[in-house]
Amino acid sequence: MTGTLSTPVPDTVALDPNRHVPGVRDPGFAQTVRAEWIKFWSVRSTPWSIGALVVLGAGLTVLVCAVSAADLAGGTTGEAAGSFITWGMTVAQITAIVLGALVVTSEYGTGMIRATLTATPHRGRVLAAKALVLTGTLFVVGTATAVLGYLGGNWFLEREGIGLALGDDGVLRSLLGSGLYLAGIGLFAAAVGLLVRHTAAALSIVLALLLVVGNMVMLLPGAWGEWATKLMPGNAGSVVATPVSFNPNLLEPWTGFAVFCAEVAAVLAVGYLALRRRDA
Amino acid sequence: MIEAQELTKKYGDRTAVDAVSFTVHPGRVTGFLGPNGAGKSTTMRMLLGLDRPTAGSITVRGRSYADFPAPLRQVGALLEARALHPGRSARDHLRWMAASNGLPVRRVDEVLDVVGLTDVAGQRVGRFSLGMGQRLGIAVALLGDPPVVVLDEPVNGLDPEGIRWVRTLTRTLAAEDRTVFLSSHLMSEMALTADHLVVIGRGRVLADCSMADFIAEHAASYVRVRSPQRTEVAELLRRDGLDVGVVDDELRVQGRDAAAIGELVGRQGLLLHELSLVSSSLEDAFMTLTAASVEYAARDRTPAGATR
Repeated sequence: MTGTLSTPVPDTVALDPNRHVPGVRDPGFAQTVRAEWIKFWSVRSTPWSIGALVVLGAGLTVLVCAVSAADLAGGTTGEAAGSFITWGMTVAQITAIVLGALVVTSEYGTGMIRATLTATPHRGRVLAAKALVLTGTLFVVGTATAVLGYLGGNWFLEREGIGLALGDDGVLRSLLGSGLYLAGIGLFAAAVGLLVRHTAAALSIVLALLLVVGNMVMLLPGAWGEWATKLMPGNAGSVVATPVSFNPNLLEPWTGFAVFCAEVAAVLAVGYLALRRRDA
Repeated sequence: MIEAQELTKKYGDRTAVDAVSFTVHPGRVTGFLGPNGAGKSTTMRMLLGLDRPTAGSITVRGRSYADFPAPLRQVGALLEARALHPGRSARDHLRWMAASNGLPVRRVDEVLDVVGLTDVAGQRVGRFSLGMGQRLGIAVALLGDPPVVVLDEPVNGLDPEGIRWVRTLTRTLAAEDRTVFLSSHLMSEMALTADHLVVIGRGRVLADCSMADFIAEHAASYVRVRSPQRTEVAELLRRDGLDVGVVDDELRVQGRDAAAIGELVGRQGLLLHELSLVSSSLEDAFMTLTAASVEYAARDRTPAGATR
């Protein structure tokens, strides 16, 4: 084995002489959250994903605004500036999906899940703690990224006289909504991960559902196609994350987000049952 | 104390553990012995609440593992397969485990020191050798200073020094009146470490006795006799009702100890070149006892995954 380290072997075995380890005697949810928080930040995939999320989310928004500001001001595109001010988040959601899936599937891929469940046999508590750490982080980072993108992108829009104020219709909502949507889609990926227990499989399923199936259902005829399009998780949930949607036929922002939350909750509930019932 | 009662685990129509009952007492090292695929790991996984028994139960101090609010304070476990994320450092792995059970961070440094990993605590465990991984697993087991310690194949991948270290550690833990339950497929290792044995094969308990009883019952011994007057000696011993076998130029005598045989031969004025007690190895005894389950595995091609 290359790169192997070696240490001198201690000859004697010394155990804690008093055998009374202090600390919390009856650990509960707070301790499980603390443990999941340490786990979350002690692997490299987390800072990488978060870094990519910020760079893609804010950077692409700024780039798209800079490139299209003049055309938008000229009114030749037929699109609203509000459709572009959080544009980068549609790409950044992929990093949220990767992070969400990895939080669960990396434990199955490495056998870590056995350590996790011996430390905390209460499986519902483990899942709740994971969900809290993941969604909390994604909400904060997602919102901050959207604000960064807004500040940068709006600088270009303002130069062309089409800037958006925070008080304008839907702007503040879309910034908070970006954080909410990323938290939701990350949790969705984690829930799928609980069901398939495999990183590549979980990512394929969620990305296909969002990017492929979500657009193909538009081809279904009549009211079927209309409603299927409205109800697909990516379509329903992402309206809240943009002041003006490119597709005017989707659900209202908060109605759509409520539908999206219900869908995430449903998959998560099935994932929880799988976690409870299956052998680890 | 660990107690298994009619513990059964079926995967589909294959029975991995078949109505197994045994008790593991504190203050001694209990070896859990069986060939690969006998059901050792499955039993240990049920003990730790990872697998759900199909029937029966296995409890620690009268409670199911999952019922302990801080299980790491009650049961310390080294799992057979590595249960680690390769990208996380040894210290971080112990840190999150300590946090989950409300143990102080100070304890992380203590167990790192006990297993001798302090210097490499910041390294990612993916770079660890098999032996270092085992040590980290033992550090995990000791984290909550638990009264019950369960080690699944702890000497796998360890060098001779490491093996001796594990032996000392388990003996020390038992001397502190802890319950020590140690699995292995190596009889030779068990003979040096365990006071008590639970032997399992094909998902069933084949023996549950002290090491001394196991040796007396299963490890046949004989007295080796070499003599230039081999024929006369053999005749003499047979006349005395002893069981004498001839292998090459030696006699294998059963039914009397070496001293008695020496006196008998000496009184007749016959010459002896060698007179020694030979105990058949425990490995042989173990192989004989578990032969049925090994044959079964070979014949039916039980998949290797069954060990897990």
